[in-house]
Formats: sequence, C-alpha cells, structure tokens
Amino acid sequence: MNTNTETDLEVKNLHAWFGQFHAVKGISVVYPKQSINAIIGPSGCGKSTFIRCLNRIHEEVPGARSEGEIILKGVNINAPNIDPVSIRRQIGMVFQKPNPFPSLSIFENTIIGLKLQGVRQKAKLMEAAETCLRKAALWDEVKDKLHQQGTSLSGGQQQRLCIARALAVNPSVLLMDEPTSALDPIASAKIEDLMSDLKKEFTVVVVTHNMQQAARIADYTSFYILGEMIEHGLSSEIFTNPKVPQTEDYITGRFG
Amino acid sequence: MNSSFKFRKFKNIFFMSLFALSSLFVLIPLFLIFKYVFMMGATSLNFDFFTQLPMPVGEDGGGMKHAIWGTLTMVGIAASVAVPLGLFCGIYLSEFDKSPLANALRFCIDLLTGVPSIVIGIFAYILVVVPFKSFSALAGSFALGIIILPILTRSTEEILKLVPAHMKEAALALGMPRWKVIYYIVVRSNLSALITGMMLALSRAAGETAPLLFTAFGTRFLSFDLQSPMASLPVQIYTYAISPFDDWQRQAWAGAFVLIILVLGLNLLSRCLINYKAIIDFFKKGSP
Ligand SMILES: Nc1ncnc2c1ncn2[C@@H]1O[C@H](COP(=O)(O)OP(=O)(O)OP(=O)(O)O)[C@@H](O)[C@H]1O
Ligand SMILES: [Mg+2]
Repeated sequence: MNTNTETDLEVKNLHAWFGQFHAVKGISVVYPKQSINAIIGPSGCGKSTFIRCLNRIHEEVPGARSEGEIILKGVNINAPNIDPVSIRRQIGMVFQKPNPFPSLSIFENTIIGLKLQGVRQKAKLMEAAETCLRKAALWDEVKDKLHQQGTSLSGGQQQRLCIARALAVNPSVLLMDEPTSALDPIASAKIEDLMSDLKKEFTVVVVTHNMQQAARIADYTSFYILGEMIEHGLSSEIFTNPKVPQTEDYITGRFG
Repeated sequence: MNSSFKFRKFKNIFFMSLFALSSLFVLIPLFLIFKYVFMMGATSLNFDFFTQLPMPVGEDGGGMKHAIWGTLTMVGIAASVAVPLGLFCGIYLSEFDKSPLANALRFCIDLLTGVPSIVIGIFAYILVVVPFKSFSALAGSFALGIIILPILTRSTEEILKLVPAHMKEAALALGMPRWKVIYYIVVRSNLSALITGMMLALSRAAGETAPLLFTAFGTRFLSFDLQSPMASLPVQIYTYAISPFDDWQRQAWAGAFVLIILVLGLNLLSRCLINYKAIIDFFKKGSP
C-alpha cells in the first residue's frame, strides 16, 4: 500500500465543457506521490474528459474548455499563461485504444517523443528505447524486430508500446484511459504488473471499468456519476465499505 | 443449401457485377481518348516537333518547341506561387476548421472553384493585361495560378482531414507543439497523397486553354520574356486544330499527345520520387 502522503497532483474544483455541455462538474481531489489512483463510474460519466483535462488535451477538442485549478508540484498548470506543451511532457498519457503511429517502426514509435525534443545521438536513443520497452514489459517480445512497423504488433503489444512511448519523455505523472479494456487477461495482467512497477517512479491515474482491477492495483479510487465525484477514498475502503449507496450499487453491479 | 442463402448469393453476384460494369463504363471513354490521341498523335510525332518552331503558313514540318517551353514556364511560375499558398490554405482549413476566417476562406475557395476558366481569363485580362497594355506570360501564369489555387486548397484540406483525431492527440500528448504535430504527423505522413493532389491541380492548369487565350495569347517564337506573349500547348493545339491545313491538324494531335504524356509523366515521376523518399526517410532524418 502507498504510504507516501506527499502531494504530487492536486485538482481543485475542475469543470469541463464540450460547447454548452457540462461534462465535468467541480471535481476536487488530491493524488499523493507514487500512488495508483483509479477512476470508476458508468459509461459517459466524464472519466475520460476529466483525465484529458489533466494533461490539457481536452482543450484541443473544438469548442471544449475547462476551468479550475490543477496543481502540479505547486504550480497551477491549468492557467492560461502555462504552455500546455511543457505540461504534456510532465504528464504522459496512454489512450484507451492503442494508437502507435502507423508507418513508424517499433523503435521510432518508442523514441519519437525524445527525438522531437531534439535528442539525436543514436546511442542515447537506443538506450532510451531499451529502457522504456523493458519497463513496459515489451522488450523481450520485440528486441529482434525493432525496425518492424509498430502497427504490426498485436493489440496488447501495441498498448505496451504506447506505454513505452509515453514513458520515454520521462513524465512524472502517467494518465491511463482504460489501458486494458481491449486486452486479454494475460496482457492485462502484464499491464497491471507494469503499473505497480511504475508507481515507484510515477503517479498513475487510471480509468477502468474493471472493479477487480481497481481493487487489486489502486491505492485510491474515485467513483464518478454524471460528471461529479460521488466518492473518493482508499480503495480498500471503497470496495469493502463504501459510504455512499450509489457507490455500493455500482460496485456490486446493481447500477450502470 | 436453403433458398434464402442462394438468393443472398445471387444478390451478391448481381451487385458485384453491377459495380464492375459501372467501373468498366467509366474506363471506356478514358481508354478511347488515350487510344485515339495515341494513334493520331504518336504517328504525327517526330523529333522536329520538340526542336523546331512553327513553319510559315503553307510550309510543312516545324514543331512546337516554343509551346512546350511556354507551358512549362507558365505552369511553373503559377505553381511556384499557388502551390505553397494552396498547401498552406489547405492545412489551415483542415487544422483550424471551425474558425470564422476558415469558414470565410472555404466559402471563397468554393466560389472560386465554380468560376468557369474563361471568366478567370477575363479577370486576369482586366487585372494584368489591361494595365500593362500587353498580353504577357505573366498574365497567363496569374490566370493559371488562380485555377490551381482552389483545387489544391480543397484537395489538401480533404486529404488532411482524413488523419484521425486520435493520431494527433497521441502526438500532442507526447508534448509535441502543434506545428510539429501538423508537420510530422499530419503532413509528412500524407505526403504522397498531397503530391497527387498537387499534380492533379497542375495537370488541370497545364491543360487549360481558355484562361490563356487573352492573357498569354500566343506567339510563333520561342520566348522567355514574361512581359510579352508566350505560346502554350493548349492554345497552340487549339489554333492548329481549327486551321484548314492537314499538317497543322496533324501537329495538333501530336501536341495533344505530348500534353497528355507531359502531365502523366510528371504525375508518375513525382509519385515514384515521393514513395521512395517516404519509405527511406520518413521521420528518420527529419527531426528539426
Ligand atoms: N467530443 C465531444 N463532444 C461533445 N460531447 C462529448 C465529447 N466527448 C464526450 N462527450 C460527452 O461528455 C460526457 C463524458 O464523456 P467521457 O468520454 O468523459 O465519458 P467516460 O466516463 O469516459 O465514458 P466511457 O466509460 O464510456 O469511456 C458524455 O456524456 C459524452 O457524451
Ligand atoms: Mg472514456
């Protein structure tokens, strides 16, 4: 269990809109350093929208905007004067659907972030690729075909490739939107192991529809309904002794 | 085997043949054009055609060297301005498609696409020929540029819109600045499609007669002076084709053949180049 109480990421009263539609309604939460934080809730409740606000990808959707504070290492990164590009290098993201760049090799996919930041030395890139692919538990499967296309991998391998790609830019927070929803149990288990490893270095925020997964790996769990956070607390408590009736209904399968 | 399965199978075959047949019908005119132009043109083609200027009326022989160079020059000048402009406008339209400026631009481009080429010729005549008091290659290039611009802008926009949003998001999430995402993810990965769009626009321009009739007009001499009239293949073909002389009509066919080959050749060449390049150095050398 997580014993670190130092705050890494704090969200204060975050709202998000798609045009007129109010998708995230005033979320406040604290994510301690080196913890895994799960977000659960029925489909369409704003989980993806919420984590997409955290790395400011949300605002790239036409007509979308967000309000509220997101405090990373003491700085409000949701302020207009903060460059979202630098934020996204500190807050990595893995999407629900594996999305390696087509026509790039496995190697290039892994180090593309570094490369576009200006790192050019071959040796350095190779080293980074190996480190990140190892962290993503993919190295052994791909080390002999690094120059094949990233899209030639299986879905689960692609997802781990995307994780490696996100790790390569060396973020301090990792956002994962249902990273295992398209994977078989074995690949999911690998990614869960990976998350437990990653939390030694990163703060992980993961959206999941899988209650067992959240209970297994997350230190803290939040439950969302209709854009609001209904309950937040230690996973051990949420899953054994939820305080709010809707949470209990949801995790026992009577709701959503 | 039950009957509903057979019926479904029949329907499948029926529609497949329908599609194949329609494709065939579309190919027929294309094939006929090629065949006819090839038969008439290739047989009339000789070395002189590329190296000689027209003979005085009544004398056989001579060629269209001046017109070939004229077309290349004017299309080249038009492209050197209209291609970058069209690409940038297309990128702007696809990447910032909701802004009011983009909507206004798109509207204008659509209008421009619909303007008949003869009207564009008149426009260039009034804007360039009248003030300079002379037909000129520059006026011709100007008219051709206006033909290229809307076609290229829209094709660029349509191509780039096909890039899935989640690819751009993947790149943005890695902390790439917007312009790098546009350059590396959106443009570079669609280079060959963009080049095809560009070649189509250039081909259109290379084949236009109407906008050149009263801008570049035409001449019987090889000229690279942008401020005086310049010959072009389409205008030369037009003049020769409506002439009563057999030899000129023969040369008109040869001109048509050369025009087609020129356009086709440019198209194929650029695609080969791009495919090769795309494979070799996609993302490899390209980091800034
Ligand atoms: N691009 C968009 N434009 C307009 N509305 C959107 C857009 N994306 C999402 N929404 C709306 O915002 C709400 C929250 O969507 P979101 O994707 O955050 O849900 P979610 O909790 O991630 O659901 P799921 O579990 O199915 O992934 C939904 O009601 C959805 O309809
Ligand atoms: Mg979602």
